Amino acid sequence: MIKNNNILFNLYKVSKNIIFFIFLFYLINFQTSLSLFPIFAISTPNLILIIIYVFIVRLNIIPSNSILCFLGLLHDIMIGNNLGITLIYLLLFKYLTQVMILEKINKNNQDKWIFFTMIFVFSFSVVFFLNIIINMSVPNLSPIFFHVGVTLILYPIVNISISFFNYVTELIKIN
Amino acid sequence: MVSGKPSNIKLFKTGKNFNFILILMCLTLVFLGKLDLIAVRNIKAFLSDFLAPVTYVLNKPVKEIAGVFEDVKSAGSLREENIRLKSEIRKLKVINSKTSSQELELLELRELLKVLPKQKSQIVTGRAITAPGGIFANTVLINAGKDYGIKIGQPAISSLGLVGYVQNVSLKTSRILLIIDINSMIPIYLTSSNWPAVVQGQSGNLLKIKFLSSKAKPIEGEVVQTSGHGGRLPAGINVGKIVKSFSGKFYVKPTVDFQRLTYVSVVTNKNTQPNYSKTFQGFAPLQKPETSIYLKGLNSRGKRIIESSKD
Repeated sequence: MIKNNNILFNLYKVSKNIIFFIFLFYLINFQTSLSLFPIFAISTPNLILIIIYVFIVRLNIIPSNSILCFLGLLHDIMIGNNLGITLIYLLLFKYLTQVMILEKINKNNQDKWIFFTMIFVFSFSVVFFLNIIINMSVPNLSPIFFHVGVTLILYPIVNISISFFNYVTELIKIN
Repeated sequence: MVSGKPSNIKLFKTGKNFNFILILMCLTLVFLGKLDLIAVRNIKAFLSDFLAPVTYVLNKPVKEIAGVFEDVKSAGSLREENIRLKSEIRKLKVINSKTSSQELELLELRELLKVLPKQKSQIVTGRAITAPGGIFANTVLINAGKDYGIKIGQPAISSLGLVGYVQNVSLKTSRILLIIDINSMIPIYLTSSNWPAVVQGQSGNLLKIKFLSSKAKPIEGEVVQTSGHGGRLPAGINVGKIVKSFSGKFYVKPTVDFQRLTYVSVVTNKNTQPNYSKTFQGFAPLQKPETSIYLKGLNSRGKRIIESSKD
């Protein structure tokens, strides 16, 4: 019986991981295709990092390294990036979030936003400098500032939307 | 998935080193990828082929919504667009009547100078599957690959001008490196002054001009075309126009709108061998000895034959 439970538990874990991966994969595709809109023609916001951060901080769901590795590799292949760049980006972001958040839990929303800004800017800078080393050339900075700015602005919007959604579901539950 | 409760901090700390090793491994992967090994390239090509339909399906809804926005936007400026197009047609008609006579003259001059004719290239057109999103890479995947004779390095064009060149090919898909990508370098020339240069992408809207002579004086609005230097890209493809920045530096603004790329044509050189028998009319064929009537006592050169030597 215990053995059966173990199998079921593992199956539950695997299916949860698969669903989470599909969700993130769709999101990363959506993020890329946002460039079709004239507003995001210069560069697109990093939705995937916002969602990962929200999952870790608010919902206590930490994506496994294997999911992030697989996702990063697929994304790099899909958009023709240097292999491993997105992977480093995602892993570094997750690692820093864990270091900063897990050890100092119970923060207010403002702190969470500041932490997000710090983690995002640091991990982006690492990846940006890595790209400069690889390509031996500095890209145009305006799309990069746009990318960072829009992502930082979008974070509280996503956070408020989730809070609103939670509030509505709570209201429905009470009624 | 690991639960991230405070009780799991110990577990997380043990995994800290593992995370660090993983990031180091990724760094190695980045540099391996940059080496452009054939095996890595093949794996990438295979996975691109495999993921192409999935990406297409996932991108489709956003593409459609973006299309609707575009339609609404263009509907608002329909009247102005109509007036602009009518005046453009009038101008083009005048230019067309002039060029038709010039074209004939050009052909005659070409014939006189025995200029090698342009190679006739085949064009394969594919649909862009992915959007050119990404701040570090500007590429587009199209649904035509080795099956249609596409090879690495071949130029990709649209109706407006140069889009980029083929970076990787798989059986069913090809990846096009856009000219705005930081890794793209295109040999060009300024059409008014004929100065050669190289344009490099900056992952932005403008292209940086490199190796332009200090004597050259680019004019704002001057058309820039591929020079064909290096033999990789054919000459005479539109790249963009010269624009001047606030700092006084000159850049090239591409004519192609990369956000609206729907179809991309790849110039394949299937029949690259020109037909020399038709083109080289200037060379005379080897002359056959003429049949002539010999006079008695004279050889073919008209010299007297000495009787004794004949014996």
